[in-house]
Amino acid sequence: MLQAVVSGFILGSIYAIIAQGYYITYVTTRTLNFGQGDFLMVGALLGLTSLGALMTSGINVFLALLLTLAVTCLVMGLLGWGLERIAIRPLQNNFISISWILSTVAVSMMFRNLAMLVWGRNVIPFPSPFGSGVLRFGGVGIAKHEIFIAVCALVIMGCLFIFLKKSLLGKALAAVACNPEAAALMGINPRAMAILAFALSSALAGIGGILVGPITNTAFFMGATLGLKAFAAAIIGGLDNPVGILIGGLLLGVLEQVFALGSSAYKDASAFVLILIVLIFMPQGLFGKKVKEKF
Amino acid sequence: MKKWGIYAAIGAALYLFPWIFPNSYLIHLAQGFLYTYIVVVGLNLLVGLSGQLSLGHAGFFAIGAYGTALLNNAGVPFLFSLTLGTAICAAAGGIVAMLSLRAKGPYLAMVTIAFGMLIEIIANRWVEVTGGPAGLYLNSPSLLGLSLGIVEYYWLIALITLVITVLADNLFTSRVGRTFQAMGSSEVAAATAGVDVRNWKVLAFVVSASIAGIGGALFAFQNSYFNSDSFTWDKSILFLVGVIVGGAGTRLGPVIGTIVIFLLPQAFQSLYDYHLLIFGAILLVSLVLLPQGIVGSLGRVKGKRREALPLAKEADGAREALGTEVRWAAKRQATVLDIRQVVMEFDGYRAVDGVDLTLQGPEVRGLIGPNGSGKSTIVNVLSGVYVPTAGQMIWNTRNVTSFPPHKMAEAGITRTFQNLQLFSELTVLQNVLVGFHLHYTSGFFANLLHTPRFWREEERLREEAMHLLAFVGMAEKANEMAANLSYGEQRLVEIARAMAVKPQLLILDEPAAGASQYEVDKIVKVIRNLKEIGISIILVEHHMEIVMNVCDTITVLDFGKKIAEGDPAHIQKHPQVIEAYLGGEEVTKLVVGE
Repeated sequence: MLQAVVSGFILGSIYAIIAQGYYITYVTTRTLNFGQGDFLMVGALLGLTSLGALMTSGINVFLALLLTLAVTCLVMGLLGWGLERIAIRPLQNNFISISWILSTVAVSMMFRNLAMLVWGRNVIPFPSPFGSGVLRFGGVGIAKHEIFIAVCALVIMGCLFIFLKKSLLGKALAAVACNPEAAALMGINPRAMAILAFALSSALAGIGGILVGPITNTAFFMGATLGLKAFAAAIIGGLDNPVGILIGGLLLGVLEQVFALGSSAYKDASAFVLILIVLIFMPQGLFGKKVKEKF
Repeated sequence: MKKWGIYAAIGAALYLFPWIFPNSYLIHLAQGFLYTYIVVVGLNLLVGLSGQLSLGHAGFFAIGAYGTALLNNAGVPFLFSLTLGTAICAAAGGIVAMLSLRAKGPYLAMVTIAFGMLIEIIANRWVEVTGGPAGLYLNSPSLLGLSLGIVEYYWLIALITLVITVLADNLFTSRVGRTFQAMGSSEVAAATAGVDVRNWKVLAFVVSASIAGIGGALFAFQNSYFNSDSFTWDKSILFLVGVIVGGAGTRLGPVIGTIVIFLLPQAFQSLYDYHLLIFGAILLVSLVLLPQGIVGSLGRVKGKRREALPLAKEADGAREALGTEVRWAAKRQATVLDIRQVVMEFDGYRAVDGVDLTLQGPEVRGLIGPNGSGKSTIVNVLSGVYVPTAGQMIWNTRNVTSFPPHKMAEAGITRTFQNLQLFSELTVLQNVLVGFHLHYTSGFFANLLHTPRFWREEERLREEAMHLLAFVGMAEKANEMAANLSYGEQRLVEIARAMAVKPQLLILDEPAAGASQYEVDKIVKVIRNLKEIGISIILVEHHMEIVMNVCDTITVLDFGKKIAEGDPAHIQKHPQVIEAYLGGEEVTKLVVGE
């Protein structure tokens, strides 16, 4: 049981990282990437390839890992920028307000297909750079990689919160979120902010991919479920509240791992039952803002 | 009639298809096309008309398939199990709708995703019942003891498709479709016209889910075998693609959409390794280049062909009838609105702070005050959009304090909106028709089947609507899309729509804002006419010359409190009012010159 809770926290922190990507783009553009899961998949496969290449060239593990993270973030950021340009911005004046759901899905389909062509159809083993060692604390075993995930999650969340709340750029993002017209009048370019948001969001998906790779099956089809679960985490917490999303992710992760003790069918179902229950009683998520519309 | 001619032609083409192409692969393909089309038609009603979203329609498709198949396997005759399976789907649709009533946007999307995923998990994992990925074997479908071969089964699907198309078409052109569309474009405006938005949302989901269920059932029996792989999230997305790419809310859209999602993938099946790439690219390009879907965008290029009403004639009739069309108002007794100590708080901020207001109808009451004084909040409270934090509202001896907007409309209170809330995708006439919502008596099935009673009622209310449009001077624009009107014209149409509710108290929230001088004059004339008819009016307005000329009594608010009340002459000289509008000491100093 305790073991399940611990691994739930680890899994949940990955959900939370991916879900923060939803938050950033949702508050700045009122859209989000429904193909986030496939972006994560691309991140994982890219990370796998680059890490493999670097390790064989004999560089120190930590250096290789840092380089891989940097490269993946860069590439994913560029992909996010491209996504904003081709699938979000052209649809902004669209009177069917949900087209962006389909356009982001369309891009993700193409990525999935490309990934299949590049990396093949089979599951690729993603060895953790820290080996498969397990540390024991009392009765609970934690893989070294899981510790790495937890540390990464803490660092990323910390950086993200500092960036969003303290830095000028983060405040500019928040300003666009509140009122794009007013932000534009203050000299902030809302389009640049939208690009930044999508680049950041995709980079987070990429990091999520590298973190999750060694504890799941790495293959071209790995994204869809993870993306949806992360979306569920974001909705549980409330799409406009980053702390809520963190809590939502952890909650979801723990719940899943606890139910997984029963059977894997319960594990998958528990996430979606949880979200239905939450939304019945709190239609803005647990920590979302209630907005009273003015007429 | 031309419409029936088209249906007959489609029917004949569907009937002849197996003779023209006596090829079992093609017939199989046609079957697949038709049941996919059925699902898309249903989803189009939900997404295109009522403006809701379902990313879990594969769930209903699955329920229809498993429901019908399992019942049939248990010995229930095919047609009966099809009916029962559809009913189960309708119930599931109702449940999903209730679960998602309060959720909006991405949250609503998540509810439907969660539903679809749960059904997928059940189909996959409850192997004892569903067969899971290994599949479920069925008897071949039979009608009245006759086992249906591939061609006969195709004919059955074709017949059902035709019936659903006709019925869906009927819904589109009836008040049900109109109400769906109204709800989709402005929930709050629909509610103030008397539409119980909750019930109608549930109805939209139930109809859409039932149709998806029929599609699923027909799919299940196509090969007498199916497995759980057919009900993935991708399938839900695919259905939605069919609706959006075809043209959401158009009647032809589902046909084109189904060609894109069903026939197109068949065409490049041989390129299996690249099919997602191709499909994704087509989807993206069509979303970007044809933002209203293929049918919607082409329709716009061709210029909208609207049902051409015999406008001139009806407008003439309207002019003659101007004197009599206010029958209902004359019957009205005296009305009393009594607001006691109403408080409205937002996160601790008191927008309205203990306001008393008594209105002895028929009277025209002005409600003025500087920006932020709480006028709009009072209007929102009075029309039921907000429930007050404290206080009471008594309307003709009834306590209406916590009534939602549609109940207020039923009780005889309705309103117009400061930030216009016309149903922009409907015509002017249709907007007014939605206003008659509470006065329609024909039920869902009369609208579904277009019974003679439906036609009689539709004709009568159309005529009445034209009268109302003539009353506000907008009869010539009856067939114009509401979105194409100027500000002032839209405000006039809003008044006509509100009058269609046949209210005893009409709240006009800044009816002259943004209107040109010419339109302002028109609006003033309309308000005068309304006053003459004897409808009580609460007028919120910044144009002082309108307020001072039209109102019997004026109530002045400042910082959420009532600071003055009286006839226009009294208010104009009231020192507190002058202070509220012009400021305190500094202004006095300026004016007096000290």
